[in-house]
Amino acid sequence: MDSIIPQLVVNSIIAGSIYSLVALGFNLIFGVTKLFNMAHGVVSAIGGYTVFFLFKKHGIDLYLAIPLAILFSGFMGYISEKFIFSHMRKKKASGMVMLVASLGLFTALQAVIAILFTSQFQTLSKNVGTTKIYEIYGGIITQTQLLILCSVILITLLLGLTIKFTRFGKAVKAINDDLEVARIVGIDTNRVIAKVFFIGSAIAGVAGIAIGFDTGIEPTMGMNLLFKGVIASIIGGVGNVYGGVFGAFLIAFIENFGIWKISGEWKDTIAFSVLILFLIFKPNGLFKRK
Amino acid sequence: MEYIIHLLILISIWSILGVSLNLVVGYSGLMSVTHAAFFGTGAYATAILITKYNWNFFLTLIVSLAVSMGLSALFGLVLGKFKGDYYALISFGFNIIIFSLFLNWQELTRGPLGISGISRPEILSFSFSNNLHFLILVGCMSLIIFLVAEYVVNSSFGRVLMAIREDEQAISVFGYNTKVYKMIIFMISAGMAALAGSLFASYITFIDPSSFSLSESMFILAIVILGGLANNKGVFWGTVFLILLPEALRFVGFPTDIAAQMRQIVYGLLLLGLMMYRPEGLMGRYKL
Repeated sequence: MDSIIPQLVVNSIIAGSIYSLVALGFNLIFGVTKLFNMAHGVVSAIGGYTVFFLFKKHGIDLYLAIPLAILFSGFMGYISEKFIFSHMRKKKASGMVMLVASLGLFTALQAVIAILFTSQFQTLSKNVGTTKIYEIYGGIITQTQLLILCSVILITLLLGLTIKFTRFGKAVKAINDDLEVARIVGIDTNRVIAKVFFIGSAIAGVAGIAIGFDTGIEPTMGMNLLFKGVIASIIGGVGNVYGGVFGAFLIAFIENFGIWKISGEWKDTIAFSVLILFLIFKPNGLFKRK
Repeated sequence: MEYIIHLLILISIWSILGVSLNLVVGYSGLMSVTHAAFFGTGAYATAILITKYNWNFFLTLIVSLAVSMGLSALFGLVLGKFKGDYYALISFGFNIIIFSLFLNWQELTRGPLGISGISRPEILSFSFSNNLHFLILVGCMSLIIFLVAEYVVNSSFGRVLMAIREDEQAISVFGYNTKVYKMIIFMISAGMAALAGSLFASYITFIDPSSFSLSESMFILAIVILGGLANNKGVFWGTVFLILLPEALRFVGFPTDIAAQMRQIVYGLLLLGLMMYRPEGLMGRYKL
């Protein structure tokens, strides 16, 4: 089997996993706030760079560095909600105002990262090229990638179960449907939204870390990642958690098979063309929210 | 002195960009973040025609404007179907698509290497190779654009635009075809951006895709929002501030690349702060 197809499939699955992490967080946050949170992308970069800072600069053990980085990304998301978005919601700011605000936050934080860590491309894994490699039907997958895939499945399942079975999950669903009504029936909406920001941003942080180990991180990575997450969400149906995951894999497959015959630089063009086509012909995504 | 002229030229070019984007974002209320695509299209049209085919700069302007406006008509057709967040998102997408065209259509644009050796404008054997002469040319152009923009927004056409911004449904009940209005202003704005692009290409004499990325569009948007939505004079002052800011930072002693990042931090935080406390910008007449 000398075909390229198995490798393309593997690549698509890995890309899809990472995109779905971003889409999960984005969808969660969008669901409760109806905010196109551009700052969500930079949170991923923060996750990646925190691991870089702790692990590579200070030699802190990975098993400590990664959880710390995930918590820190979550914390950044929490702060952005607590000090910025919750105030704007109170003032009844329009969606566009909040979008521009999150864009401003994104620009500023991205530049801070660039100043602290230079704009260079960095990789997180210490010994590049020595990770174990597995072969599945002719497609090569590294140990790191396998780990990424497993953690994505785990996170998706955990999140799904939390939303379905806990009080918190029910509150999230209620706010998804109608913020005002949720508040009237006694849900502390601001607290739930802050928690959602924490969880969503932590998951985005995982995505940043995963990319760091798989290929590498750079300060501007957030934008691209965010857009893939947003495209995935829209294809799957905005606000629909599982739809986002499906959309992520769909866009990853389209991208990776799209560059089978043409050069790899066209990936972004393909992704955005798909988005525009979807918005024109199927604006609610594949899975409409009930 | 050369340095001051250089800065004045940059201010003139970017105030064309700001004023033209203000027509769309400020006066018509359409959150377009794809201005760098038209800016770049104009720049590339001029660069390619001058370096490959030896055209005169002023002749390339016709093509530059035509191509950009054609492109904007295409974008406008798609964007016309959307509102609010989705409008912004799709405009991001267009910018990224055009950017990757600049980067990857190597036969035409030479990709990341960029195009060098673009000559300065010439007219009847008089060349604008002296920076002071070029400044006069750009200054006149930007003044003309400013006056045109003021004329447009003070005309009955402009009043319809502002009415669309406030309540599209209401104005369409009066029989105005709002789609046509939005399309026309979008095309005018794109043409102006293309003019800025042509001037930019011939001033810098070298262009590469990095000048026309999405962050450039955001920068132009920041100019408009900072200066004041629906206020052209405000936009001019916004341009002056944001163009001079990195120079000032460099003057205080920051290295060039850090000064560039500092500018991003400052305008990012300014956008954030303005959105939180003053969504119409410093001198604006319209709240987003």
